[in-house]
Order: sequence, then C-alpha cells, then structure tokens
Amino acid sequence: MPAFTDLREFLTLLEEQHQLLRVTEQVALEPDLGAAGSALTRVGENSPAVRFDDIAGYEHSSVVMNVHGSWANHALALGLPKEATPKEQFEAFVKGYLKYPGELQRVDTAPWQEVVVDKDINLFDLMPLCRLNRGDGGFFLDKPCVISRDPDDWDNDDLENVGVYRLQVKDRNRLGLQSVPQHDIAIQLAHAEARGQDLPIAIALGNEPLITLMGATPMLYDQLEYKMAGAMQGEPYRVTQTDRGLDVPWGSEYVLEGRILARQREVEGPFGEFPGYYSGCHLYPVIEIDRVLHRKDPIYDTVYVGRPWTELDYLQAMTTSAPIYAQLKNDFPEVQAVNALYTHGLVVVVSTKTRYGGFAKAIGMRLLTTTHGLGYASIVIVVDEDVDPFDLNQVMWAMSVKVNPDGDITIVPNLSVNLLSPAGQPPGISHKMIIDATTPKPPDVRGDYGEELDTPLTTDVWHTKLTAMIKEMRG
Amino acid sequence: MTDASTTTPDLCPRCRSTTVQLRSTSPVAGVWTVYACSTCLYHWRSTEPDENTNPDAYPAAFRLDPTRIPDLAVVPIVPPLDTTPPAGASDSPTTST
Repeated sequence: MPAFTDLREFLTLLEEQHQLLRVTEQVALEPDLGAAGSALTRVGENSPAVRFDDIAGYEHSSVVMNVHGSWANHALALGLPKEATPKEQFEAFVKGYLKYPGELQRVDTAPWQEVVVDKDINLFDLMPLCRLNRGDGGFFLDKPCVISRDPDDWDNDDLENVGVYRLQVKDRNRLGLQSVPQHDIAIQLAHAEARGQDLPIAIALGNEPLITLMGATPMLYDQLEYKMAGAMQGEPYRVTQTDRGLDVPWGSEYVLEGRILARQREVEGPFGEFPGYYSGCHLYPVIEIDRVLHRKDPIYDTVYVGRPWTELDYLQAMTTSAPIYAQLKNDFPEVQAVNALYTHGLVVVVSTKTRYGGFAKAIGMRLLTTTHGLGYASIVIVVDEDVDPFDLNQVMWAMSVKVNPDGDITIVPNLSVNLLSPAGQPPGISHKMIIDATTPKPPDVRGDYGEELDTPLTTDVWHTKLTAMIKEMRG
Repeated sequence: MTDASTTTPDLCPRCRSTTVQLRSTSPVAGVWTVYACSTCLYHWRSTEPDENTNPDAYPAAFRLDPTRIPDLAVVPIVPPLDTTPPAGASDSPTTST
C-alpha cells in the first residue's frame, strides 16, 4: 500500500485516474455544495471526487467532496487498481490491519504550520463552512480527525486517539462535539472532567485518505490509529506534534488547536446522519479553539451525508468489516470474510466454513458480542464459505435456497444498539436476528439438498481470457 | 449572487427567540452574512432559501421549543468530580473510533 504524503498527492492520483472532476464555475455554499454531493451518489459506483475552486464570498477557497466516495476511489486509497472488487479491497484492508502495530515517525515541522492565526479567530473566514441538508442545525465539520490523549496517562502514545466525530460550528472559535459514551474520546473526556480540567485537542482537516479511514475504524482503546496506518502502509506514519504534545498528520491542510471545556454541555444538532435520518438535538460537549494553523491556499475536505449510499458509507465499509473479522477470526478460524457495509454494520453478512449442525448460529452469536456488534449488528446473515458475502446476488441465492424460517431464524431479545438506530425500542435497545443461510450439516438433517451445481473444468481459464479480451475491446 | 439582507433579523427561524446575532460576513464584501441564535445556536446564511431563514417558513419538523432545551439528553454524562484521580491508565475499555 503506498504512503500518500498528503491530500494533494492523492487528489493528483485521482485526477490522473479520471476520478476527480473539477468544477470551475462559481458555486454557492448553499445549496450547491450539498446538492452536488448528493447528486454524486446517483451517478453510479465509480463516481469521482469533485473539486470546487470558486466559492461565492471568498477570494480564494477550494472544496473537495466525495474523495472516498466510490469503490474506485477507495481502492486507489488502499493502493489497489481502481477496478478492485469489494472482496479484494476487504482482503487488502485486513492484510494490513492484522500487521498492527506499525510505527509513527515524528518530524519537527509540517506544511500546516505555514500560516498561524492566534487572535481574532473566525472559522467562517478561514474555511467554506456550509449547510448540507436543510434540517441541519447549522454548519458542521464532518470529516475531521480529532486527536486527544488520556489525561490519566498523558505520555502513553498507545492511548492517544484519532477519531472522526462531527463538529458543529457554534461561534467564530467555538464548536460542538458529537460524542457518545462508546467513543474513545468520551473516555478521555470523562477522565479530564473528573479532574475538573479541560481536555486539549487538535483537529486535523484535509488529510491523506488513509488516516481518515483509520480514524473511522473501531479499534481497541490501546491501539493507536497512527500505528495502524503505519502497519497498513508498510512504512512509518509521519506526524508533527502541536505545542501541547498532540500528534497531527504531517500533511493536514488545517489544524485547529483547542480544548473541550470541562463539564459543559450545549445544544447540538440536528445533523443528517449515517442511518439516513436526522440525529435530533442533544446536549453535547463544547470546544473552544485557541489557534488555527493552515497551509497556504488550504483545501477544505467535506463529506455529504444523506440516505445511504454516500461517501460516508465508504468511510464506514472496510473500516467496520475488518475489526469484526479480526475478532471473529480469533475465536473461529473457520470465518472467511465479513461484509459490514450496510449502515455502519447494522446488517452484517459473514461467510464461514461450518463444522457441524448449528455451527453458523454460533458464529452469528459471537458476531453479536464483538465490540462493534454490541452497538450495531442488528441482523446477521451467515453464509457458506463459497459464497462471497460482498456479492449480494450470491447472498440472496443462499437466502433463497438455504433458509427455512422454521429453524434458521434466531431472534435474541432486547440487546444493545446505537442510539442513532431509528428502529430501537426504546432507543438504544433492539431485538437482533441471526439468519442461518448455510447448508445444514449433520446432525442437522433438515432439507433435501442434493448435488450443488459447480462450473465446467476450464471456467477459470476462460474467465481470465475473456476478461482481458473484453477490456481490450472496450479500450 | 448578492446579500439581500442588511439588518440583523428579529427572530430565530428555528426557535423564534429574539437573541439573534450577526456572526460573520463574507470575506468578499456584500455576498452573504451569517446569523446565529444564542439561545438554540442555530446558524443560517442570509442567502439561504426561506425555509432556513424565515421563521414562518421554517419546517415544523425542525423547529425547537427553547423551553425544552434544558430537558434534552446530556451525552456523555458529566462524571462526578474526583479530587484524587487514579494514577496510570484507566479501566481497560474496549471501545473505539
């Protein structure tokens, strides 16, 4: 996997691969940016990123959207050909993920130190903030890497955290932080608030594509996202420290330094969220920004969030699947692959070898107790090892012929689920379902399964040959 | 595109409080103005459509009764003050992001 030095290098690659579209006409912050982001979700699986360089109200301002927003762009971020299938991208992601830990490399200076704003901070001047959806309560930073440390063990790098949390702009230098108790930063904030102290943070905007994926990955509390990025890319991940000792990606476009104010909560939201619904309003923590640093002519990267699928679903795709797979595989080496692409893993498909009757249900129940499964995974579909869980045609075939609802459906009542799941009753609680779509094995002798169709002898050879010919024919 | 508004509005479109402040103006003068309500923290830009700027056109589904704000859920909860915080790492949480 290549190490991209910064967002700009990745945008250059996207442009070379015809995966970046430049819009040169002047656009309005509303409704143009949200509308363009939404429209890109309708142009097919290989939709490009889009860059705007003329924003109404600014002399110079650049916005990119949909940077991760297609399988092609996601593949390029992982260093794969843009034609790589989701299954191939899963395998590449897992291969890197299982190499944890890699290393981080600290360097003294970074391009984001070029311009320093430490008085009269006005975020509205510094970046093209906009409303994406009409019911949003304001303007949000929705693709940030928020960096913090544990105040109870400040110098322990493994407890440093990089997380992607939405930030509502509350004033010229004031933000709201959407954080739920399951987030690492909530644990660190609780430690700071128990002391009555503010929690120093850094917010990195406009990053190379890998660290954003790492920030969106539900890792263990003592796993550092930079070390995972180092493992994934096969070379140390380069960072530069802020004055307060927080590690920030070397290549960021903007860095905001500030503090989560101790013991304060303030109205936040709503914001269009990943389930395809608005989030509602809550009283969430508050951030005060003390200093902003940025590159010359910074590029602002934002993600449109709407009804799935959007760029957000790509950010939550393999980043959700890989940790579930790693935990499952640890207990059950029979597991082959995990597809947790659907709405951050509210529905999960897992393929596995089965050893005996009832085995698939055990896999399903273990999945429900993985770290991520506890808060998501409402429906688990278990398929045989030769079914690609990322190919829904194959999954639906397995569901069609291998599921007898009398015996293959298991419902477990009143388990935990994310507060944002609209089906929870009450919010945060939901029944969960395991669908066993594997072929019954003794002593489970239900059904009348004869010989399954296989493929003629040289099918693989012909597949390679014909694929090459088709590619040549189409240029 | 030009900024149609020249004066700060009287009412917040979302909660109808009279606590509207001018938050910022466009770096290129006269293109837009951002206003904010200091009660419900709603922000809007002068150039947005009526449904985001006009209290009478603001969608009912998104309105906020300012008297309900103190009753909104506090997330995450504020822990009790501990004057003797533990040294070293905390209880081994297993969560993430």
